[in-house]
Amino acid sequence: MAYQEVEKYSKPVRVLHWFNTASFLLLFITGLILFIPPLAIAAQDSWTRLIHRIAAVLLVAAPVIFALIYPGKAARALKEAFTWGSGDLDWLKAAPAYYFLADESAMPPQGHMNTGQKMWWFLTVVFGVVFVATGAVMWFARDTIAPTGFLWAIFTHDVAFIVTGAMLFVHLYLSVAHPLMRPLRTGSWSAMTRGTVSAEYARAHHARWFEEITAATHAQAAAANREKVLVGSHGGKTG
Amino acid sequence: MADKAILFDATRCTACRGCQVACKQWNTNDEVIPQQQDGVKEVNTGSYENPADLSPQTWIKTTFREIERNGKVRFLFNRRSCMHCTDAACVKVCPNHSVYHNEDGAVSYDKDTCTGCGYCVACPFDVPRFTKNGLTGVFTKMDKCTLCTTPGLNRIAEGMEPACVKSCPTDALLFGDRDELVKLGRKRVDDLKVKGFTNAYFYGDKELGGLHVMYVLDEAPEVYGLPKDPKVPPAAIAWQDVIQPMGWAVGGLTLVGLGLNYIVAREAKITRELPGKKEE
Amino acid sequence: MTNHWNDIANADCILAMGGNPAENHPASFRWIMAAKDKGAKLISVDPRFTRTSAKADIYAPMRSGTDIAFLNGMIKYVLDDIEKNPQNYNMTYITEYTNASYLINPDYKGPIELDGLFSGYAGGLNEADASKRNYNKATWQPQRDEKGIPKQDKTLKDPNCAFQLLKKHVARYTPEKVNAICGTPVDVFLEVCKTYAATGKPGKAGTIMYAMGTTQHTVGAQNIRAYGILQMLLANIGVTGGGINAMRGESNVQGSTDFALLYHILPGYLKMIEDSDHTLEKYLERITPKSTDPLSLNWWSNTPKYVVSLLKAWYGGAATKDNEFGFNYLPKNEVGKNYSHIALFEAMEKGVIKGLLVWGQNPAVGGPNSNQERSAMDKLDWMVVADMWQTETANFWKRPGVNPASIQTEVFLLPARSSYEKEGSVTNSGRWMQWRYKCADAPGEAEDDLFMMTAIVRKLKELYSKEGGPNAEAITRLTWDYGSGHPDVRAVAKEINGYDLTTGKLMDTFANLKADGTTTSGCWIFCASYVEPDKEPNAPIPGNRASLRDSTPDKFNVGLFPKWSWCWPVNRRIIYNRASVDLNGVPWDKEHPVIWWQDGKWVGDVPDGAQPPMAVDPKATKLPFIMKPDGTASLFGPGMAEGPLPEHYEPWESPIQNLVSKQQVNPAVRIWRPQEHGEPDRFPIAASTYRITEHWQSGQMTRNCPWLVQAMPEPFVEMSEELAAEKGIKNGEKVIVESARGQVRMVAVVTKRFKPFQMNGKIVHQVGLIWHWGYIGLSTGDSGNLLTPHVGDANTHIPEYKAFLVDVRKA
Repeated sequence: MAYQEVEKYSKPVRVLHWFNTASFLLLFITGLILFIPPLAIAAQDSWTRLIHRIAAVLLVAAPVIFALIYPGKAARALKEAFTWGSGDLDWLKAAPAYYFLADESAMPPQGHMNTGQKMWWFLTVVFGVVFVATGAVMWFARDTIAPTGFLWAIFTHDVAFIVTGAMLFVHLYLSVAHPLMRPLRTGSWSAMTRGTVSAEYARAHHARWFEEITAATHAQAAAANREKVLVGSHGGKTG
Repeated sequence: MADKAILFDATRCTACRGCQVACKQWNTNDEVIPQQQDGVKEVNTGSYENPADLSPQTWIKTTFREIERNGKVRFLFNRRSCMHCTDAACVKVCPNHSVYHNEDGAVSYDKDTCTGCGYCVACPFDVPRFTKNGLTGVFTKMDKCTLCTTPGLNRIAEGMEPACVKSCPTDALLFGDRDELVKLGRKRVDDLKVKGFTNAYFYGDKELGGLHVMYVLDEAPEVYGLPKDPKVPPAAIAWQDVIQPMGWAVGGLTLVGLGLNYIVAREAKITRELPGKKEE
Repeated sequence: MTNHWNDIANADCILAMGGNPAENHPASFRWIMAAKDKGAKLISVDPRFTRTSAKADIYAPMRSGTDIAFLNGMIKYVLDDIEKNPQNYNMTYITEYTNASYLINPDYKGPIELDGLFSGYAGGLNEADASKRNYNKATWQPQRDEKGIPKQDKTLKDPNCAFQLLKKHVARYTPEKVNAICGTPVDVFLEVCKTYAATGKPGKAGTIMYAMGTTQHTVGAQNIRAYGILQMLLANIGVTGGGINAMRGESNVQGSTDFALLYHILPGYLKMIEDSDHTLEKYLERITPKSTDPLSLNWWSNTPKYVVSLLKAWYGGAATKDNEFGFNYLPKNEVGKNYSHIALFEAMEKGVIKGLLVWGQNPAVGGPNSNQERSAMDKLDWMVVADMWQTETANFWKRPGVNPASIQTEVFLLPARSSYEKEGSVTNSGRWMQWRYKCADAPGEAEDDLFMMTAIVRKLKELYSKEGGPNAEAITRLTWDYGSGHPDVRAVAKEINGYDLTTGKLMDTFANLKADGTTTSGCWIFCASYVEPDKEPNAPIPGNRASLRDSTPDKFNVGLFPKWSWCWPVNRRIIYNRASVDLNGVPWDKEHPVIWWQDGKWVGDVPDGAQPPMAVDPKATKLPFIMKPDGTASLFGPGMAEGPLPEHYEPWESPIQNLVSKQQVNPAVRIWRPQEHGEPDRFPIAASTYRITEHWQSGQMTRNCPWLVQAMPEPFVEMSEELAAEKGIKNGEKVIVESARGQVRMVAVVTKRFKPFQMNGKIVHQVGLIWHWGYIGLSTGDSGNLLTPHVGDANTHIPEYKAFLVDVRKA
């Protein structure tokens, strides 16, 4: 079969992703400076805290603008984060064997996002809200809120920072560094850079999704492919 | 070096406010009329007490309280400034150790490295105050009393007493070795009790591991506006004792876990590919 | 002060009345605390609870202007207690050192007989005719024997002796009466009496610290008289920790008084010349007190020496015996004419005064009835203001509500130097003359006062020499030998001390001044302050005793510090100290002696008269009060305008009728503007003005200092919670306070520290206003003096700033 590609992430989604990547990294680094004393010298005169605020504004503004322009996409994406089923449990059971032993035998077919991706996306949404809420308290309510409230906002902000910070490493690792993700030109990296994945990849790793997008126009081909999938699937992977 | 301290005897204070002005003069604070932006409103709000609150430019202020008991009025004066606690919440929470105990036991700070993060609002005495960047609205620096140990304006290192103490005409403020002043303060409070001030209290002797500004009071601390039994707030302890280690632990474990995974998974992938399985 | 600041530490009881040392003399509280550390009691008597009251053992509220009722009540308590417990009082002191035993003219009648008046009054009760508001004092004099010595009854039993007359006089001032007049609760008043009377015991001392709260009344001078009587009865004058101590409101106001910045005296408290004094001889005859009593030193008998030495200092070679030492160069007061502050501004308003030099004053803020004083300045042709700042006075022509174009006065502002920018001396309340050095350069063209005055004098001399004029020689012949360039302030100090013209050397003591024109002294009481260098070689400026800074204690270690600066007279630290010892020269208080007769001589402080004690040498001895013609202190004092004994009269504006007599106000008072009298039905609230720690006088030095403006940012009026509730005023709100003369807008400070006075069932409210503000400077606002009246004390004419009537309403 000829090499074919399917679009996994539309351009606006990719732009949003990288925009938020940049702002999150800025937030992460300028936040980390406050967390690690030896780095704090870099925070003099509050300019890192100013950058933190600018990045925070961008981080919040980008998805809001996105949602205003593409309400449908936004709604679908949000829905995706909160749509969970028994397949996700199966995925979790199968994940260790897959990620450690490259054993994909137990992997159930995945949708547009696999369970791992969905977990990351879910955490991003939830902690995003936590970040914004506590950050807003620290930024805007510092003069008015009781010191205890301010301190607990810091505490919560920091918990979110630690969790998402750790998850960021996992996300990066599984997207581009895990041995199974090589080479980069296919799969997630490609999905989030060029926007497309090979049909082969989509069929193999996101079978349910692949099925959905091909069902309407290529019913036949889809049926044939399904055969193949069932026979020679490599299982899903996160991206 | 022995810890230094200030002993404030409320029974000797006449609220002349020389200390409040001397502090500003020595530390070159508020050399122009301060604006409202720093929380300082230059209006009389119906009290002798002004400015209304501590500010980045007001590190010490005299407080006035009127109480009436059995038809007798009392006009109580107190001194509000950094207490220089031994168990100092600000020192505990300062992320980059800009706030620290100096060799005299005073809580000083390095204004250069202060980021204005504001974590030191953990202070149980509500002392640290912050300057705001007028343009960005971002808090930039914390300020407070340093017991006159600010680098470049360090009176103590030059063998002088703090500016506030120097200005006090009635010796309501004394400066010296903390141990000596503790003895003196205890004696004065005992004397007050003998004189019939049954609620007399020596504040700062034990509070927060011992304060470096101590108070001889002829009333209970609350009457003078001092918190009874001040504590480092739980949120500050949580930040220092939970969040910091948790950050390192979670971050570290994640990286170690991912590293292990890489080694194991790489091996597994190679093994699986040996039979000549085609790369996708 | 009879004593001095650090002597307060020696007191057993401190009566702070008519003064607020914690707020207005904060450094003095160091010594109050030192006394309290040794167990002394502090009593605060004040209409409101002040920062002084906060530290006091007893606080007694007292309505403004009722001091005499309060003090006469205390005096009554003491006299009654003397009868019951004479052992608790120093009866020797009372009989031997005061005029208690003097038999008074049998024709004398007092307020009991005359319903509030004394015998000799020209008018009737509440006399409206100003020309009749005065006394013939003939009946107030003591009876004298053929030698001219006062007749006495040392048993103090004679009903006509001063002691008995006093007792009869104050009998009306019962605690209940005091309560009815002053609003002081009876129990509190009795506690004050008991506590303070305890200082009457020999060896105990009580001091009175007072300030403008005592003096700025229509009865201000009699208030002080009452202090004097009380202190005499308690033997508290002349002793350590005692005395009557005027806390001076400015650093050098004692010096300014010593040097006669007043209209009724010449330097050194020499009486002013009057137009009836046609010759020097007649003048000296009039002002020199006489005594025929060999036991009276009558120090003022030396007056001619001081007057002539003063004239020689002023006119030098031009002062000769032939021209009466230049006596007629000097201006003379018109008899019966008043030249006090109020009178000057009244004259200004009438256009009598055309030019005004304003030096270290700001009457547009500090003067009473400031609206009047501000507008009176409109009539001036010219005004010169010497000040460190732009003042309200210098800018009277652009005060609010006035069109500057309508005012033709030409105004000059001479930039002055602060005390740190010039060298010179400052005399403090304790009479210490302390030399100060210049420590900073002045900004811009600012110059010191001596430079400015010298420039003016040089120009006047030049103009009078060239153009002549009335009494031109008074200026042209004035000596002004302070160097040719920038005048030398040390040369001035030396001239003040004086020279022996026969030797050309500086005088050693005023005892050697002469009336023959061979000595000079610019101010006799300061003679001995600046001597030849070899006489005081160890002074930082050799010879200049004001520059001494040696803190070696005195012999008895009672805080005299005789080598720290120099004190007038002749470095005597506690005046009337001869009263601090018994008839044998042994101190009443052996633990804190001022002087002591030991081994045939006095040791300790410089004694008030070097003669031996009264029992040691009854012939050579002298009575202790050497400045009094009869040598004794005056329980019964014939010299005052309104009577020999203090009698309570209500302030000119009072919320109530006088409860001791039908005479409502001081019968000898001078009333300038009767039409501006506020009636209690329109202005029912008593008011007083005062100062606060954070600001100083008319405020130019403090209202331009950001730190102080911040500490006290706006003028305020203090009132009780009860009054505020009645008027619907909330704390911190702006209110209008109005008197018959003007109105001010201020912040209301509603406080528990003001309480309505419960006087005999009647409730009287009082408010207090500060007066530091004006319309020029960093911080501007209204001065309390827009409300105060143009009425003053009958003797001194100091304005009655402390008691007047207002109404208050929400702004």
